[in-house]
Amino acid sequence: MSLFDLPFEEPEPDPEPAPPAPTDSARDRRRVHTVAELTARIRTLLEEELFEIWVEGEISNCRVWNTGHLYFTLKDGGAQIKGVMFRSALRLLKFTPKDGLRVVARGRVSVYDPKGEYQIVCEHLEPGGLGALQLAYDQLKERLSREGLFDARRKRSLPALPRKIGVVTSLDGAAIRDIINVLRRRYANAHVVIRPVRVQGEGAALDIARGLSAIVKVKGVDVVIVGRGGGSMEDLWAFNEEVAVRAIAGCPLPIISAVGHETDVTLADFVADLRAPTPSAAAEMVVARKDEFASRIDRLEGRLNGSMQNRAHRLESRLRALDARAGLGGARGRLAMHARHVGELSHELRQAIRTRVAMRERRYQGLRLALETFDLRRRLAGLRTRLVAGDGRLTAVRDRRRHALDARLGAALARLESLSPLAVLARGYAVCWNGDRTQIVRDASTLSIGDQVTVTVQRGELACEVKDVR
Amino acid sequence: MSADTTIKDFEAAIAELESVVKKLEEGDLPLEESLRLYERGVHLSRFCHARLEEAERRIEILNERGHLQPAPATLTSEDDSQGKR
Repeated sequence: MSLFDLPFEEPEPDPEPAPPAPTDSARDRRRVHTVAELTARIRTLLEEELFEIWVEGEISNCRVWNTGHLYFTLKDGGAQIKGVMFRSALRLLKFTPKDGLRVVARGRVSVYDPKGEYQIVCEHLEPGGLGALQLAYDQLKERLSREGLFDARRKRSLPALPRKIGVVTSLDGAAIRDIINVLRRRYANAHVVIRPVRVQGEGAALDIARGLSAIVKVKGVDVVIVGRGGGSMEDLWAFNEEVAVRAIAGCPLPIISAVGHETDVTLADFVADLRAPTPSAAAEMVVARKDEFASRIDRLEGRLNGSMQNRAHRLESRLRALDARAGLGGARGRLAMHARHVGELSHELRQAIRTRVAMRERRYQGLRLALETFDLRRRLAGLRTRLVAGDGRLTAVRDRRRHALDARLGAALARLESLSPLAVLARGYAVCWNGDRTQIVRDASTLSIGDQVTVTVQRGELACEVKDVR
Repeated sequence: MSADTTIKDFEAAIAELESVVKKLEEGDLPLEESLRLYERGVHLSRFCHARLEEAERRIEILNERGHLQPAPATLTSEDDSQGKR
């Protein structure tokens, strides 16, 4: 059966009286067409005149043939026209044409010669009033919203440190390149797993949904970016389709939507945990968390070291206070001179500590954290030893002073002086430490060729290698 | 960094580091105790740094069959003439 089997309606009888019989001259000018010729002329007239027209009407007799083409009739109050929409165009429609639906059709008029019929070949159909996309968008948005899928409570925060970043998008186009570029620039060691999907056209939404369910199964992926670059509303449509939107809403991992440009909003954006205005921005969001944590750790580290340095400074002041007491107590008689001597020595000791602190300070700036632990510990241990030793020695000095034993005091002072590392170093001596700087080298035979040693001189240190042992 | 059973994860490490720093800053702890805490703090911050840098730099494609394969060079090339800013 063909639609064209349906007869045209009989035209109303012409109410005018019959025209007068043709005159001879009129008969001479008469040009008789064949039916085919006439049909061809009609076709030319119609097809040249009506090759791009819009028409609004109600669909009836709507049917898809097994060829996949849609045949229908468009009608309104007093007229109707047959229409056809070929499979290729039909496929792009977001809604299904149905009888009774009011539509606006765009197409061209064509003539079917064998039946002497004309019809409109539709390239596009949309519902009268609202656009089809808008209609579908509004309906789905309303439905998802009622289900609570847009609730702020559902939003999860991104992982502090993504182990692997899953990306579901097309390999063509700027989006994936933008994402990779940002990650490379901001987070050089990013591990990215890309699931390529179609992001527009038929089947794209399902592809996106499948891509999501595949990528969340990859071990280590703990955040997902889904999206595409900019385009028309139709291009972005897959991200408004139910199957894709639900897949995003149901994603077991934190997910960022990044569809089109800043001004494009899709339903995917409403259900994702985070909406990025562009794919690059999505990558920035993933990385921003990492930067945030890195600077937080840096600040904590600064405070950690700062608090230990304070501690060291407090120990130094205690040492200074002990020195000062010793100095004042000896301001009497012959002992005043020795007291000054003690004062000088303790001054030197203080200087030695200061120099050492300053030296450590410089090293501290340059060294990595690992070394720092050892330095600070050794410095504190050294200070503590000196504190105890200094205290003991000063007490001894005071005792001796009380007994006015000048000679013994002198000897003690000389000994104290000789024990002061700075005094010795200032005279040009050097101290040689073993490789890990835990012991002073007193016996060359404890070292072998190739061993590393550190030599401390009055100002600074030298890292040396043993070339010969004699 | 070898697995450290005393540290649960990155976020736990940060939290502990925070409390260590706080204790060191406010308390007049015995020297031994502050040294012990300091050492723990350094250990924690090392752990955090290591985790920050841990991820490998790699770009992979998950194909239809669920297999991972390296991304094509065109996608990962340094020079991106198509990139629009």
